[in-house]
Amino acid sequence: MLVSFSYRPRHSFIERFDPRARWIMSLALLFSIVLFWDIRILSFFFVLSILQVFLARLTWQETRRAWLFILVLSTMMILVNTIITGGGTIGGVISGGKPLLQFQLKIPVTGWIIHYVLTRERVWFALAQFLRIISIGSLFLVIPFTMDPRKYGVTFRGIGLPDKLAFTMDLAFRFIPTLARDFQITLDAQRARGYEVEKIEGNLFTRIRRMAPLFVPVTMNAILAGEDITNAMDLRCFGLKKRTWVESLKYQEIDYLMIGISILILVGSLLLRFVFHTGDFWFPM
Amino acid sequence: MRMDQELPLYIQNLTFRYHRRNTPSITNINLEVKPGELLLIAGTSGCGKTTLLRCINGLAPRVYSGDLTGEIAIFGKSVQQLSMSELSQQVGTLLQDPERQIVSSHVFNEVAFGLENLAVPRQRIIYRVEETLEYLKISHLRDRETFSLSGGEKQKVALAGILVMQPKILLLDEPLASLDPVSAADALQMFRKLADDGITIIMVEHRVEDVLAIHPDRVMYMEDGQVIYSGDPQGMLDTIEINRVKLPAEVVVKRLTPGSFPSICPPAPPTDPRELVRFDHVNFRYKPESDLVLKDVNFSVRQGDIIAILGPNGAGKTTLVKHAIGLLKPTRGTVFLEGKPTQQLSVAQAAATLGYVFQSPSQMLFAPTVQEELEFGPKNLKHPPEQIQQNVDWALKSVNLLHERKSPPLALSFGQQKRVSIAAILAMRSRILMMDEPTTGQDYWNYLSFMDAIIQMPGFDAILFITHDLDLALIYSNRILLFKDGQIMADGRPEEVLSDTELLRSTHVLPTSLLRLNLELLPRTGRFMRAEALVNYL
Amino acid sequence: MKKSLWTFGTREVVFAAIGAALYGVLSYATNLLQIPGAGNVSLRPAVAIPMFFGVAFGPIVGFLSGAIGNILSDLLSGYGFWPWWDLGNGLMALVPGLIYLSIKDFRSWGDLLKAEGMVVLGVALGMGVASLSEIWVSGIDLATAISLNFVPAFITNVINGLILVPILMVAYSAIVARSGR
Repeated sequence: MLVSFSYRPRHSFIERFDPRARWIMSLALLFSIVLFWDIRILSFFFVLSILQVFLARLTWQETRRAWLFILVLSTMMILVNTIITGGGTIGGVISGGKPLLQFQLKIPVTGWIIHYVLTRERVWFALAQFLRIISIGSLFLVIPFTMDPRKYGVTFRGIGLPDKLAFTMDLAFRFIPTLARDFQITLDAQRARGYEVEKIEGNLFTRIRRMAPLFVPVTMNAILAGEDITNAMDLRCFGLKKRTWVESLKYQEIDYLMIGISILILVGSLLLRFVFHTGDFWFPM
Repeated sequence: MRMDQELPLYIQNLTFRYHRRNTPSITNINLEVKPGELLLIAGTSGCGKTTLLRCINGLAPRVYSGDLTGEIAIFGKSVQQLSMSELSQQVGTLLQDPERQIVSSHVFNEVAFGLENLAVPRQRIIYRVEETLEYLKISHLRDRETFSLSGGEKQKVALAGILVMQPKILLLDEPLASLDPVSAADALQMFRKLADDGITIIMVEHRVEDVLAIHPDRVMYMEDGQVIYSGDPQGMLDTIEINRVKLPAEVVVKRLTPGSFPSICPPAPPTDPRELVRFDHVNFRYKPESDLVLKDVNFSVRQGDIIAILGPNGAGKTTLVKHAIGLLKPTRGTVFLEGKPTQQLSVAQAAATLGYVFQSPSQMLFAPTVQEELEFGPKNLKHPPEQIQQNVDWALKSVNLLHERKSPPLALSFGQQKRVSIAAILAMRSRILMMDEPTTGQDYWNYLSFMDAIIQMPGFDAILFITHDLDLALIYSNRILLFKDGQIMADGRPEEVLSDTELLRSTHVLPTSLLRLNLELLPRTGRFMRAEALVNYL
Repeated sequence: MKKSLWTFGTREVVFAAIGAALYGVLSYATNLLQIPGAGNVSLRPAVAIPMFFGVAFGPIVGFLSGAIGNILSDLLSGYGFWPWWDLGNGLMALVPGLIYLSIKDFRSWGDLLKAEGMVVLGVALGMGVASLSEIWVSGIDLATAISLNFVPAFITNVINGLILVPILMVAYSAIVARSGR
């Protein structure tokens, strides 16, 4: 099995920023977005998020899967939320309101009657929800495509995580291609013993149990290898003192600019919400 | 205790017992090693070599808890009194499998790892990493991903990661185990150079014949945790039991008297053999845009064949055998298994005729007991229950593991696991046995007895094995396929294929002492055989 | 040699990284059935891996295997980045890790049952936290979060965990003696 990460250098504007600055920006925007239900304010964040996607030079081809995922996810949640159950929570859709559509549905056999009312307010609330989910989704969608996996460890170190935790991230990346290869070998070895993964047989329980011939060898081999890796790292003094990171990151002026703007946006959002009490659910009368 | 500051390593009456064991793993070891000396420690698996290395590099008793008695000192300082960071700058350890030593995705970061942990300033690290890469002549690998390196390159990178910390003593734990002969020869030359440049080298290895080529200054031979011999190489060749470790063929024949060993040799193929597998103009590439891995391959496997597929790493040997069982299908051409094209067979159907044993048994063992492990294949093939029980019993008996029926396969020794993996194929009643590198991970003594058992096992119509070990092909096969760059360079009896020295040179096959002796005696013997059998013809 | 529940040394770093990489690779390779839209819910048998790593190597290793592994799985599948689900996956594997010190025999009925109980608790907590976060992030109501996010995620993960964690524990009991530490 070949695994590949979505990252490749694409010389885009967004890649010029320090990954730490970009994480700070993404988190600041996340915490700002979740404060609001006002569609006018949300539109501002929506534009920012989509702008980042374009600045990262992502193509539809490579991000299709992620977009479909976000779209289906948000549609499902909104549909269930507005249609089946009552409506939004935090923003608090005013109950009552102007009905756009209403009908009664009688479920056969049980005889339950669903009385359904779709109000204008609910439609606007659904739209706000949609903007929120898409903004947050696309905000983070950019990261795997435009951040070099080699820099994850030092980035997290730079954000303030301890050495060991940051290195865990690097080490996990190191194991990925090896384990993917080991999985392929084990899959081939079991197929050579007549094991067929494709064949969908039996109930859910049997199907899950049939993962054991694949999972057990790969996992146990990895654990045995782990003992050696631990020795190798102890012998090279891992964890004795605060370490140097040879991969280095350096803030440039544009990074300070990005961090500054991000903090401004977060502080501004907090002020708007908690001092001026704006940003609640809003809809055009 | 003698406090000699000049002596890199001084060991006196060293005994070590792991807390979870009842008996010591090494007893009363005495050793003195001088600067720039190359010491070879030989012995079979379980002789205590690994424990000795752990005592020297400090892992025992620091992480492997146990009782250590006696003295062990590095440049006059006791190992127990040195801190791990002081110790790591004196003693570097290269573990057996470089893959299990490499901790970074990229070469440069891998080499820098130790210095990063010692908090050396960044600029200094970069300088020293580049210097070390230069020294080992691998600067071109600097920005490569460690995963994509070849076995030999991985080992050099792992070594660079140790040398960058500037140790005075280098411990090498079976450094040749995962290398093909060409890379192994290359690695040995490098170790010699390190010793000549003043680094003390302690190498544990059972491929004694190969190591002798770089003239170790001293040899120590261990058995059951004790030193049997310590002194110059020649003395060891004259004293230790042959066949425990791999000795040069000339030494073996000199030490034996004619007729002392029964000769096990591959049976001659039947006169009118049935065709089992046929490769018909097979081409293969992994992706439409990549290069051909198999180029117009044509050959047949017939009843009675014991075929060794010989060739350098990356020649396409594994790709070839995967075609026989249908794990891979040809891009062009056809592979016939008992007359049927593999395109029309599922792998499971092919597995009923042809059993494929992968390189490492741990890649396939999963069941809680040996019994269930062996039932897995036949159950997948939907054999009736009574027949499964019968075949499992027969398979267990054939590999001599009846007493381990209820044991968990993962708890068995490596050699036993290997036999379970063969039994798993036997239990499926597959008529053809294919093995990928059947001897890796086993020491010389174990792999000889393992191969002897396979060759004499009833129930197989044909056996194929992939190897880069020339001696293995020479002793056990009755036919050799010499493979290089996806093409069959030669196909014939071992005596024909291996006497062509020009061909061997062009396919990077390094002649061994056993081959040279066999070629010399061929007019008298008429066929190749193991050193023990050659004695009768001298 | 077991020290304390919250040790985080070289060994823990290594097994956290291995657990995470395994979880990422195996869920990418064996995504049996996807229930799209159900809040990152899919039938991924690999969820058993971080829970087992928790039981075998402690709560920190479990948490990191689950959280980093979920990040890696999403990275490999190209799904973006969902921090609250990563947190939920981490918690799911942290809880079984709490019994790490009390496990004496990985194949005894008592210890297996104990682990099974912790799997149920872990999945309930982990998926609960992630689903409740959806209320905060996506603005859905509790009923939606429970029916659409929590219930499917809980059921699929619990089934996978209950079946595969004991299988892995029994296999591990055979190799645990081979580790000299």
